[in-house]
Amino acid sequence: MGKRDAIVLSSSDDDDYRPSPRSKRSYEKPKSKSSVTRTNPSRAKRPRIPNSRLAKQSSNVDEMRLAFRDFDEVLNGFKVSAGSRKSNTKELWVDKHRPCSLEELAVNKKKVEEVKSWFEERLRTPKGETGGSSVLVISGPAGVGKSATVHVIASKLGAQLCEWNTPTPTIWQEHVHNSSAGMSYTSKLDEFENFVERVRNYGLISSSLNGNSKSSIILVIDDLPVTNGRSAFERLQRCLVLLARSTRVPTAILITDYGNEDSSDLTARWMEELQLSLESAGASKVAFNPITNNSIKRTLSRICKQELCNVAAEEIDLIAKASGGDIRHAITSLQLFCLKPNAELYLSSSNSTPSYPKENANELNTSSGGFSSQYGRDETLTLFHALGKFLHNKRETENVVASDQNAFQVGEKFSRLPFKMDSPEKILCQAHGQSRPITDFLHENVLDFLSDEAVDDAWTVASYLGDADLLLATFRRTLTRHSETENVLQSAAASVAVRGVLYGNFHPSPSRWHAIRKPKLWQIDHSSSHNQNELLRQRFTTDVGPPSLSEVSVIATEYRPVLKWVGYRKAGDVGILESEDDSVQRMSMDEDSEICEDDDDIEDW
Amino acid sequence: MASSSSSAAAGGYDMPWVEKYRPNKVSDIVGNEDAVSRLQVIARDGNMPNLILSGPPGTGKTTSILALAHELLGPNYREAVLELNASDDRGIDVVRNKIKMFAQKKVTLPPGRHKIVILDEADSMTSGAQQALRRTMEIYSNSTRFALACNTSSKVIEPIQSRCALVRFSRLSDQEILGRLMVVVGAEKVPYVPEGLEAIIFTADGDMRQALNNLQATYSGFRFVNQENVFKVCDQPHPLHVKNMVRHVLEGKFDDACLGLKQLYDLGYSPTDIITTLFRIIKNYDMAEYLKLEFMKETGFAHMRICDGVGSYLQLCGLLAKFSVARETAKAT
Ligand SMILES: Nc1ncnc2c1ncn2[C@@H]1O[C@H](COP(=O)(O)OP(=O)(O)O)[C@@H](O)[C@H]1O
Ligand SMILES: [Mg+2]
Repeated sequence: MGKRDAIVLSSSDDDDYRPSPRSKRSYEKPKSKSSVTRTNPSRAKRPRIPNSRLAKQSSNVDEMRLAFRDFDEVLNGFKVSAGSRKSNTKELWVDKHRPCSLEELAVNKKKVEEVKSWFEERLRTPKGETGGSSVLVISGPAGVGKSATVHVIASKLGAQLCEWNTPTPTIWQEHVHNSSAGMSYTSKLDEFENFVERVRNYGLISSSLNGNSKSSIILVIDDLPVTNGRSAFERLQRCLVLLARSTRVPTAILITDYGNEDSSDLTARWMEELQLSLESAGASKVAFNPITNNSIKRTLSRICKQELCNVAAEEIDLIAKASGGDIRHAITSLQLFCLKPNAELYLSSSNSTPSYPKENANELNTSSGGFSSQYGRDETLTLFHALGKFLHNKRETENVVASDQNAFQVGEKFSRLPFKMDSPEKILCQAHGQSRPITDFLHENVLDFLSDEAVDDAWTVASYLGDADLLLATFRRTLTRHSETENVLQSAAASVAVRGVLYGNFHPSPSRWHAIRKPKLWQIDHSSSHNQNELLRQRFTTDVGPPSLSEVSVIATEYRPVLKWVGYRKAGDVGILESEDDSVQRMSMDEDSEICEDDDDIEDW
Repeated sequence: MASSSSSAAAGGYDMPWVEKYRPNKVSDIVGNEDAVSRLQVIARDGNMPNLILSGPPGTGKTTSILALAHELLGPNYREAVLELNASDDRGIDVVRNKIKMFAQKKVTLPPGRHKIVILDEADSMTSGAQQALRRTMEIYSNSTRFALACNTSSKVIEPIQSRCALVRFSRLSDQEILGRLMVVVGAEKVPYVPEGLEAIIFTADGDMRQALNNLQATYSGFRFVNQENVFKVCDQPHPLHVKNMVRHVLEGKFDDACLGLKQLYDLGYSPTDIITTLFRIIKNYDMAEYLKLEFMKETGFAHMRICDGVGSYLQLCGLLAKFSVARETAKAT
């Protein structure tokens, strides 16, 4: 329990805290994987980030110890943690197969190189003499290896990695909080501000009790405190901007982008804003892209080999595609996928039988044919199958069902041959299709599938898609009401979109193969909100309310043209010019070009 | 199957059947075979990855998670499982404090077993609370795993989705629901005619919870399950009646269709009730493709207006009129 004593004074977290999961592993299994365990000094010496609140309260130590002893007694009731003696097979695969070397990192080499050389530079130059900020913003979608990259690079450079984690109110802290009246409650944001303040003034070395000042230190902020409301966000923003301006510890701030999330979600907007303000405070930025399909496949195959799981190439391909460039999700899905319902097939790595009975492997593949439609984060992939059916519009060649004399006859112009597929509603249900993406995808792609002369068809299709859009818009408004409402509007919208496309496409283009594209509308929405943010940032007023449309258009149509016309030259000017280029680039929507540089194939949708 | 899940005398006769017949074992869960078979492997071997179960209501998501947790943890369930659902307070502070404290708690478990945090109806958590969950999920993955259930996975923020394996549940098929109903009907000795069960399946629309509730309600109200009783209990317009309205429109008997509508309206069904049934009937009615498309479109629009507050009888008549116009337009000359 002496270990816990140390924690009282030095760290706000308990012993489950781990700077990197591998340190945990080396601690459990000292003999295995020795090559891994000694590469990163941080594994041996855990960084100690004292909690200022506790450190300052050292006069209260006795009191705290007292309270703490009570806690010990409670603790003794429990025994050893279940996790502490587990074998390797009981880990999550994302932890177990965490990349240990630059080679294993599935991230684009150029991006990794960028990050690496940035850190090299900051670590090489004596402190305080570096031009520019010591803060690097790494942004990107969830699960593209932002943290992993920093960890690997830190160990490669032999630097000690310190992570900021939102402090945990452990049981004893709560206890102390309740029993010692002198201690006031600090919010997470307060704690974060204190922490940043300390780092700015003293760096991390001074706070490191073990005095290991020779090794260089990298600070990672992976877990920004959640801000609730605009004013809290602004405090966070201010505090990070200060950090970017003045810290001398090389710091990586990891920010997760929210792809095509509801633009009504303010967090996404704020995160974008935060990045912009950090950049204008001098921080460098590296934006990570979704990981390419091929890199994910390579990683998945490697894991399969190590886990002795025999997974067909097509399955790996499907999992990779369905993950939408999110490698963590791909690995997690693979772990689930490798659970073989058949007892003999499930081989834990401890029980290493190298070969497989052939017929069982086959059986496995057939039984898992439905994988793609059931798992995988990227719902759009599960849609593709369905979309293909709708767009290709396969019909019987003649009316096979003898038409009932009494039944209502429609005119030739309105009649269609029977579908050569299940009813659209059934297909939609199987594809787990959500109405909005379906409508957007159909809208994006349908013209490719109409024959060139069929303008009337295009007219029909467009009108039905418009109707579906209207239904969906209403759906959004009534979202909070009872679910029955949602149901009818949602399914009506999806049916109208799909059936409109099927019915309208009377003269399908001769069957050519078309790749299905992701809706451009999404990208446009994204760039438009980006530009809007950019515009708002350039306002020279300090009060920042929620952006209103009129404000933005005033800025765009009057403010900026006037500024240009007057030939406004001042300090802020440079910023404007730069960001102008940026927004122009974004408007051209050539975001793919970035991906093209990759050594891997481009995913074409 | 029934006996394994019904805890004999517990609760007496007014215990809800959805609870009484909630499967206790993963293997008893009906439908979604592929998903359930994988959960079964987890129940046997442990090392549950973080999971998101997503799908429409009443398809067994909550049931699966509870059964899985029970099978994994057995006698330790009480101390090693933290259940939070939408009715609990799940603001940022709860996530930060309660869940983190639970994650740090020491519990002795057999190898390969982890503490489990169950977050039911996760899509109703605020995104801030979900944000706060993100790191906890990662840091304590060696001792604590998460199982989330939600209706639409897209309402779970991406960083959480990224850390979980996604298991999608679909609506149950009519056969699957019927199978389960037969088990319950047998165990409770409910007198029924097959049409009665069909009616229950229609009203349930792939939702097992609804099916069991409607069955129990019909039984306790009338002691006999036939069509009439089911639709009376469920307070839904009788589908046959609505179907006749549509047939009349298609046959060009607009007057008859309106008469049928008036009768329904006079019975006290709200426009929303009527239109919901109407939409479902149209979806399955065998008619010309063009007409089906137009009918669905117009029904959607009418529904939209009703949602906007124009829930009048006139709107419903107008809808029938629009159907007729579509029919006239398309008529063979
Ligand atoms: N697949 C299923 N197999 C058997 N019973 C089910 C199934 N799905 C739902 N039920 C019944 O319906 C009730 C509600 O199911 P639940 O799992 O809570 O649905 P949800 O998917 O909304 O979480 C359960 O108590 C159970 O009796
Ligand atoms: Mg539920």
